Amino acid sequence: MQVRKVMSKEVISVRRSMKLRELLGIFKDFHIFPLVPVVEDDNRLIGVVSFRNILDVFQSSHPDVLKLVPFLDEEEQNIFRMDISEDIGDLVVVQDIMDLEYIYIREDTSLEEVYKLMDVHLKEELPVVDRSGRLVGRVGIFDIIKFLFKQKGIMS
Amino acid sequence: MNNSILGLGFILTAGLVSAKLIKKFSFPAVTAYLLLGILIGPSILNLVPKDILNSSGMISNVVLGIIAFGIGQNFSRFHLRRIGKTVIWISVLEACGALILVTAAFYFLLHQPFYISLIFGSIASATAPAATVMVIREYRARGNFTDTLLGVVAIDDAWCLIIFAVSLAISQAIYAHAVAASFIIRVFLNALLSIAGSFILGAFMAVVLSIIYRFVRTQAELLILTLGLIFLNIGIAIWLNLSVLLASMFLGAMLVNLNRYSFKFFDSLKMIDSPLFLLFFVLAGANLEIGILNNLSLVGLTYLIFRVAGKILGVNIGAKASGAASSVRKYLGFALVPQAGVALGCALIAKSDFPEAGNMIFTTIVATTVIYELVGPLCTKYALRKAEDIIIH
Repeated sequence: MQVRKVMSKEVISVRRSMKLRELLGIFKDFHIFPLVPVVEDDNRLIGVVSFRNILDVFQSSHPDVLKLVPFLDEEEQNIFRMDISEDIGDLVVVQDIMDLEYIYIREDTSLEEVYKLMDVHLKEELPVVDRSGRLVGRVGIFDIIKFLFKQKGIMS
Repeated sequence: MNNSILGLGFILTAGLVSAKLIKKFSFPAVTAYLLLGILIGPSILNLVPKDILNSSGMISNVVLGIIAFGIGQNFSRFHLRRIGKTVIWISVLEACGALILVTAAFYFLLHQPFYISLIFGSIASATAPAATVMVIREYRARGNFTDTLLGVVAIDDAWCLIIFAVSLAISQAIYAHAVAASFIIRVFLNALLSIAGSFILGAFMAVVLSIIYRFVRTQAELLILTLGLIFLNIGIAIWLNLSVLLASMFLGAMLVNLNRYSFKFFDSLKMIDSPLFLLFFVLAGANLEIGILNNLSLVGLTYLIFRVAGKILGVNIGAKASGAASSVRKYLGFALVPQAGVALGCALIAKSDFPEAGNMIFTTIVATTVIYELVGPLCTKYALRKAEDIIIH
């Protein structure tokens, strides 16, 4: 079974130029901050924003260069004591916080493979792209579980 | 004391506590580990069990392998495309500047044999990205100067590993035989062979890693596979007399270009590398021979001065060549003063490869590292302030 059969095709995606304020506005009524794909005008997937990236707003910038630095003490962050100003909502855009290294899958990937990837990399949802790298959907671990339960007749 | 497990427990716990203490003074944890090592080492309190001290070589090879593997990420196509010419020019030239000035100073001023001068010179090319980043974070520095600085410190240890591997091969050849004119070609061939061999080994291992990865089902297996392959790679490099540093760096570099999810391998190591790093620095401190420090003041001073001069000069030329801003040209060299893990690791390798001069090289590098780590962050802060990337009230 390919992932395109079980994925949800309706995904909230954002552009790299979106302001933090707008981004948070979209998800303000959500229970959790989901994995949000970042796409170009032609719908090509270029990055993702997770709640971890949102936390980065509380840190000084340059996260991807820092990955290359050995022996770096982790920055102790107390998000309750951060003095970030209100204008950060307009100054920080998606481009500043999005992750360029992320796991994604092609729509023709098998469900077993998707589940394995989620298992190995501790992810609960992944963006799905077509052959040319355009975002076509998202798949969560519950989508896979639902499919299995339906197959066994436990869910309708 | 000869209870290794007690010793390990003590080192890890004391390391953590001392790092917490030194943080109050805004120094990197590395400095605390080094000072702790010196304090509990054979020269002062003698609390480190012999078995652990004797395994310093193994631990440093493992740690260096892991660091070099991580540094290999610099060579991803994606990353290389994003680095500007300013960063490339400056990082290459400041590394070479320190190499040339320190080597020349040791050879001409201190009249040291060429192979020892070259080892000192090549170690001088390293910097300490962690110390630099800590200053940048602490003062929330932002701007073009900061961006260039981060780019330079991230990649220049890669140049250092290459410079050190080549210099080591040359020095070993010179050390093993008296230098004759006809010999120089063979020396270079040897060095070339070592680099090519390390490259082939690292590349081969990256392919093996990618193949076995297909069967990996859990995070734990991913970590086991990554560590296993790094150790295999280091072990084979030692066995074949290749460069541990280069083989590990090439493994990382190939992997990052071969495997779409390579960042997961690097991430998995982050779960276990901190205690290893702590152990590595404490042992480096413990291996310092305080007894010979007195005789090394001139050597140490020469190293301290000429390394910084080389960096400043290199930055200057690099900035001019790439048309960088004048603040970068004037001050970036000062921000590169800190020196830590990569230099210590290289010195540990030199220590085991050159039994006679090794102690002198190692003790000098440990002592200068302590000084650089204490003074370096202040220099970085000075540079950032002069470049107006931080505002200090």
